[in-house]
Amino acid sequence: MSEKQKDITITILFIVTIIGVFLANLLIKDNDISISERRKLAKFPKITLDSIFKEPLSNSIEEYAMDQFILRDEFRSIKTFVKLNILNQKDNNELLEINNNIYKMLYPLNENSVVNVANKINNIYNTYLNDSFNVYYSIVPDKNYYIDDNSLYLKLDYDKLEDIMSSNINSNIKYIDLFDTLSETDYYMTDTHWKQENIVKVVEKIATQMGFLDRLSLEYEKKEYDDFYGTYYGQLGKELIPDKIYYLTNNTIDSAVTYNYETNREAKIYDIEKADSSMDKYDLFLSGATPIIQIRNKNATTDKELIIFRDSFGSSISPLFTEAYSKITLVDIRYIATSLISNYIEFKNQDILFLYSTLVINESGSLK
Amino acid sequence: MVFSSLTFLFYFLPIVLLLYYIVPKKLRNLILFISSLVFYFIGEPKYGIVMIISILSTYLHGIFMDKYKKHKKKFLVSAIVISLLFLIYFKYTDFIIEYINTIFNRIFDLLNLTLPIGISFYTFKMISYIVDVYNDKVKVQKNFLNLATYVSLFPQLMAGPIVRYSTIENELENRNHTFSGFSNGVMRFIIGLAKKVLIADVLSDLIGNFNSCTEKTVLFYWIYAIATTLQIYFDFSGYSDMAIGLGKMFGFNFPENFNYPYISKSITEFWRRWHMTLGTWFRDYVYIPLGGNRVGKIKWLRNILIVWILTGLWHGAAWNFILWGLLYGILLMIEKLGLLKILDKLPSFLSRTYVMFITLVGFILFSGVGVNEILENLGGLFGIGTSSLVNKESIYYLISYALVLIIAIIASTPILKNIFLKLKEKVPKVINILEPIVLSILLIICTSYLVDGSFNPFLYFRF
Repeated sequence: MSEKQKDITITILFIVTIIGVFLANLLIKDNDISISERRKLAKFPKITLDSIFKEPLSNSIEEYAMDQFILRDEFRSIKTFVKLNILNQKDNNELLEINNNIYKMLYPLNENSVVNVANKINNIYNTYLNDSFNVYYSIVPDKNYYIDDNSLYLKLDYDKLEDIMSSNINSNIKYIDLFDTLSETDYYMTDTHWKQENIVKVVEKIATQMGFLDRLSLEYEKKEYDDFYGTYYGQLGKELIPDKIYYLTNNTIDSAVTYNYETNREAKIYDIEKADSSMDKYDLFLSGATPIIQIRNKNATTDKELIIFRDSFGSSISPLFTEAYSKITLVDIRYIATSLISNYIEFKNQDILFLYSTLVINESGSLK
Repeated sequence: MVFSSLTFLFYFLPIVLLLYYIVPKKLRNLILFISSLVFYFIGEPKYGIVMIISILSTYLHGIFMDKYKKHKKKFLVSAIVISLLFLIYFKYTDFIIEYINTIFNRIFDLLNLTLPIGISFYTFKMISYIVDVYNDKVKVQKNFLNLATYVSLFPQLMAGPIVRYSTIENELENRNHTFSGFSNGVMRFIIGLAKKVLIADVLSDLIGNFNSCTEKTVLFYWIYAIATTLQIYFDFSGYSDMAIGLGKMFGFNFPENFNYPYISKSITEFWRRWHMTLGTWFRDYVYIPLGGNRVGKIKWLRNILIVWILTGLWHGAAWNFILWGLLYGILLMIEKLGLLKILDKLPSFLSRTYVMFITLVGFILFSGVGVNEILENLGGLFGIGTSSLVNKESIYYLISYALVLIIAIIASTPILKNIFLKLKEKVPKVINILEPIVLSILLIICTSYLVDGSFNPFLYFRF
């Protein structure tokens, strides 16, 4: 190729590319949501005199341009490939991939956040409970815990996290240690959560320590729901094999219903209708995130009740407790202030379990 | 708006290029002026009017100097004072108030003004124009549109290079548009984009990790110092490359601003290779008018100190910038008083190590926020204030960014350029085929980083 031919090629290539992309972005209809990233996408900003002088237009327009860019997912995959495979960086947006398993690098330990969780639990205890209640707390390790200690990757000082919790939490609240009960295969490859079909051993451990094992059959039928592209899948931006969501059921679980205090809606424990329409298939379990939801066991042979203060890990484990209780109430204080709980729940000697993952404990700013 | 954004690359630039090349030649400056105002307005809606008033003032002073030649010195002083007043008001008022409050123990309220983007750059361009008109080095520009286009030209409006009016005086009225010029422009632009997006912004993440680290080790302090030194270079020289490239796309030839400063063997050489247009501006409009080196030794040293204190102040209204300028001023004096001769005799490795060490220390001073942070980051290099040499965290980030750091170090030297030129000489046809392919791949990768990225303005926008 001569110098002149090269100059013409570069000129035409550049102009055609930028004008072509400009026209494509202009002509292709904007998307409302990104399925892979599970979020709403930015729309073109409304331009008013007020908005212009409040914040430079460049910020909101750039946000729109990034979200609505043609072949956005493909470009994100290219970036991930270059970053991890060519530049040999170890994480992308703090996500690591080891043998097709995606981990979120949770680091460093936020000691203030851990103390905050302990104080929140103490506050609930002091406000609503007393020593006549059967009260327990447990920590769900994020799957980073199971990365080899000798590997390069950074992980929390989990022993310190447990120590801070135990030294700050009310001594009447007993600890159930799950760290050695689980392993990394008990978690989805593309998501943060544990697999329900793998946590019967956790149910057994909690039931043993809380004293309701004799009311559980621990017999479940495993059913397949669907392919599952977890939260990390979209954030990492790399083609990987999806997980599969299975759920465990039996006659008691099948006949039980959930009652959502926010929507006043009854639903099945495994809300297939909600999961089918949701970006997050994990919403299958108890219809997803909500402030207060109750499992009502119609075949209950006991009048015992359980209250679980929880994050999203509680959604998939609590159905497996159904046989042992007439009602299980799940409270997520990320979505309801502690002071408002008594408007919905009467505390009267129920079993109490505080179940939080290290992900929430280390970043607990959202707890109200 | 920044060049390294999707908005600029895939919305603004195609529209402006289309309009520019479609309209008749005589309307092209108008298109450039209007698009420059839009470019400025989108990123800086409040202060576009400040720039326009400054341009109008400079334009009128030029006209009056030409018309009333007997009073041209008065008009020169007036034009410079007005331009500098804007700069001082927006950039230095709070700094002066803080200083007065400290000295006199009084409490004046700070104005908390936002600095209009690019004001330091366009003020210097206007001063160079008016001084050159006064010295009869250039003819007065009677066409307001041409002068306004020169000052506000979007490729070099926000962060330089500081293009002298004399450099593009002819091109403002008559410039050539060729495939060769345009493709060179594309090449410079994409290389600059890659410098900014693939190196400077990636190193910025590494620096962010350092800043949020609670257990810093000696190793991490060194990683931080090296990353900061490289980031500032790739951020600023990347912007300059993009500006020069864009200029070429529109038929302008802007001066070079960087010439591999990190291979310098003395600080004197470093400043001939770093931010060259600022250095020559201070030389021609401050140092030489003060007498330069054609005065007694004391006055000569005074002139050097004045220039370097002003250079520091130009970068920011804070003591660390003044100290940074002073550091270089003092080192330049020492070099001129004898150290240069010693450096000349030293092996290249030693003289370059000396320059790089000073540069690392200089940029820690330059980029630090507050005395405590600066002292901590400087002390950390030598184990002061930290008990450990390495830990798992610093090793993780070293390994994770090792290749980027190595690429950045190599790319900050002329090695790649020399290899390219040699290959081009030996196998020109192959290189001519590879060039568009490599540029396309770089553009795709940069775009992928921008699509998945967050907003990263250029460091030099704050000056």
